[in-house]
Amino acid sequence: MSVTVERPVAAQPEEPPRRLGPVERLTSTDHKNIGILYCVTAFGFFLVGGALAGLMRVELAEPARQVVSTQAYNTMFTIHGTVMIFLFVAPFGIGLANYLIPLQIGAPDMAFPRLNLTSYWFYAGAGLLILLSGVASAGGGAAMGWYAYTPLSELRYSPGVGVDLWILGIALVAMSNVMGGVNILTTVFLMRAPGMTMWRLPIFTWNMVVTAILGLVAFPPAVAAFALLFIDRRLGGLAFDPLGGGDPVLYQHLFWFLGHPEVYILILPFFGIITEVIPAFSRKPLFGYLGIVLATIAIGALSMGVWAHHMFTTGVVNNPFFSAMSLLIAVPTGVKFFAWTGTMWRGKISFDVPMLFALGFLLNFLIGGVTGVMLASAPIDYHMNDSYFLVAHFHYTIMGGSVFAIFAGIYFWFPKMTGAMLRERLGRAVAVLLFMGFNLTFWPQFVLGLRGFPRRYVSYPPDIGFDTPNLVSTIGYFVMFVGVVLFLADVAVSLRRRVPAGDDPWGGNSLEWVTSSPPPEHNFDALPPIRSERPAFDLRHPELAP
Amino acid sequence: MRRVVRAGRRVAPAALALLGTACSGSFGMPRGATEQGADIFRLWQIFFIAAIPVAGVVYGLIFWSVIRYRRRRSDDPDALGPQFRGNHRLEFVYMGIPVLIVIGLFAASAAVEVRVDRVSPDPDVVVNVEAYQWGWRFTYPREGVTIVSPPSGEFVPGPQMVLPVRQITRIVLTANDVIHAFWVPDFLYKHDAIPGRTFMFDVTPTRTGTFYGECAEFCGLNHAYMTFSVRVVSAAEFATWLAQQRAGQQGAAA
Repeated sequence: MSVTVERPVAAQPEEPPRRLGPVERLTSTDHKNIGILYCVTAFGFFLVGGALAGLMRVELAEPARQVVSTQAYNTMFTIHGTVMIFLFVAPFGIGLANYLIPLQIGAPDMAFPRLNLTSYWFYAGAGLLILLSGVASAGGGAAMGWYAYTPLSELRYSPGVGVDLWILGIALVAMSNVMGGVNILTTVFLMRAPGMTMWRLPIFTWNMVVTAILGLVAFPPAVAAFALLFIDRRLGGLAFDPLGGGDPVLYQHLFWFLGHPEVYILILPFFGIITEVIPAFSRKPLFGYLGIVLATIAIGALSMGVWAHHMFTTGVVNNPFFSAMSLLIAVPTGVKFFAWTGTMWRGKISFDVPMLFALGFLLNFLIGGVTGVMLASAPIDYHMNDSYFLVAHFHYTIMGGSVFAIFAGIYFWFPKMTGAMLRERLGRAVAVLLFMGFNLTFWPQFVLGLRGFPRRYVSYPPDIGFDTPNLVSTIGYFVMFVGVVLFLADVAVSLRRRVPAGDDPWGGNSLEWVTSSPPPEHNFDALPPIRSERPAFDLRHPELAP
Repeated sequence: MRRVVRAGRRVAPAALALLGTACSGSFGMPRGATEQGADIFRLWQIFFIAAIPVAGVVYGLIFWSVIRYRRRRSDDPDALGPQFRGNHRLEFVYMGIPVLIVIGLFAASAAVEVRVDRVSPDPDVVVNVEAYQWGWRFTYPREGVTIVSPPSGEFVPGPQMVLPVRQITRIVLTANDVIHAFWVPDFLYKHDAIPGRTFMFDVTPTRTGTFYGECAEFCGLNHAYMTFSVRVVSAAEFATWLAQQRAGQQGAAA
């Protein structure tokens, strides 16, 4: 059977799309609106977390303590970590998923629109609690580090209410994640358009499926841990208090059982972005679609068996087992790298801003991956654990990886979301500044870690090789700072003086590119036939369609 | 072919020299002032040297693809690349090779771990290390000598542990209040100190000198000031030091 379908023409607004009023913005259950709310809120938290990082970098630029009090510094790294992980990177992924999944699978909305809005408000409220936890009490805010190890986070050692607010905030974020996960899975499993089989799902959607499953598995035990900690603190419990027969290591197990899948919750959506961007700008199909989906599933599965590599130096876990599992995760990640490279190979690569960020992602994330393999070895970790080597490693994955992918995603989908292009030249400057600034900030931190600089130190002695790398790192921060300011300027200019994007500015592959920019409320007036994982491409090139 | 061989002959010595430098390189890591640390240092070298070709191949492929297959001005802006979708044989190869690499790395890592974690049945010196907010108490139980941190604060030099060179020292690690970690970067080793548990590990210093030490697990307000040092001396100096300490501490007690 052969059916010719005209390219569906959605009403193309010549004028800027009607602006939603503030009340509509905050209460509309349209998945596109919620997606944008998520992304904008998350980006706001990125700015907050980034400002805290700046204060810390200024403090560390010179050896002794100069700028902030020790207590304030301890609060800053606690809130910086919490904000970046739970309020920026992970929710940004959920925001993009909200916006894109229904479009990519040809559905009119998410399965549970009201649950969707609820999960956003849980997240936003939690964010407020967590910010408050940093300033809450007279003696200073929550200052126990983002993983809140017991007994330090017990009432005896952290008497402020900051920790309680923090616990509530994190528990709410966890619940919000669970709601989001349920919604994503139901949507993808039940609401795909005819022809959109699981093996034709766009990779971003596939990655969000695995991310959602990880969240459903990992968050409940963490909520249990936080509930027990709260009971310990306020209701006389003794679960993690060694003086009452409790076990602080139990907390670490429960926490990292969330914490390590969380790391993959922080990267899989962004692997998805990269896997969408590279084929579009290489003008080729993805190299090894099945391989990359299986690699994603393998990463998800393995990520649930590696949590105790955070505990190599505790001496109470089976180091070789967790070492082996952690090393194995490098294999599916390597598969992805080769698939991305294979996609570019023999392509017609153009270097639009999303592709520049994707390349930055590849270059940075490889370093994050290679150093991750080193840290997966327990004896090497005996030296590296809790040092700046570790700090540099996870910033190479989360900042150099996920955040670069986030920028790639913003430049890629901003035209779809707003109907306006971002500025190409400004975007290039942002990409170059962020890439240089990022490497300047975090490369010296590998050196610091090897030389023995521990994380979470507000000061350091001047004469043992910690000063120069710290100064360079601080300079790098300001290069990134300029990049982020330029990015905000880019967004402001592009929204004011709109350059219309059209339906498909890049030559995209998945269904969101066949509807208007921004899409109408019901997303599609008509759907093209879906015969491969790139229906938009097939529509443009019927001669090549399967 | 012959030209390749000739070029190979010219390049080989340089490559070997480079490899030699690489194998003796420290790649930024202290070399380890204990037997255990030297073992970890060699493991680090193995991991780093294994990482070089991996990163080289991946970066090489990325740069090659990006430069060779860039869209040129002369290209039709709508031109497509060849629309192939993968190659199963190649995919198995690039999955298989990393598996082999990580198996090798795991074997090396596990072997070193067994050696580093091994505790001697008969250590020459025993030091009890007690970590607390925010200081250290070093006790030599056999000799009855105790060294304690001065009251904590910014920039107070921490307590000093003295150890004899080339003798096995057993560290018995405990914590009083919250979790701390005992880290001497030059030993390339740290261990968490967890309240309610006792941990033991051995260090066998191979060089004399003074080494900086610090708490590595965040432990509250003055975590950053919880430093100490380890001075490794000859056996004779160690005996003298012990005698002095004992005399001083008995005098203080009397």
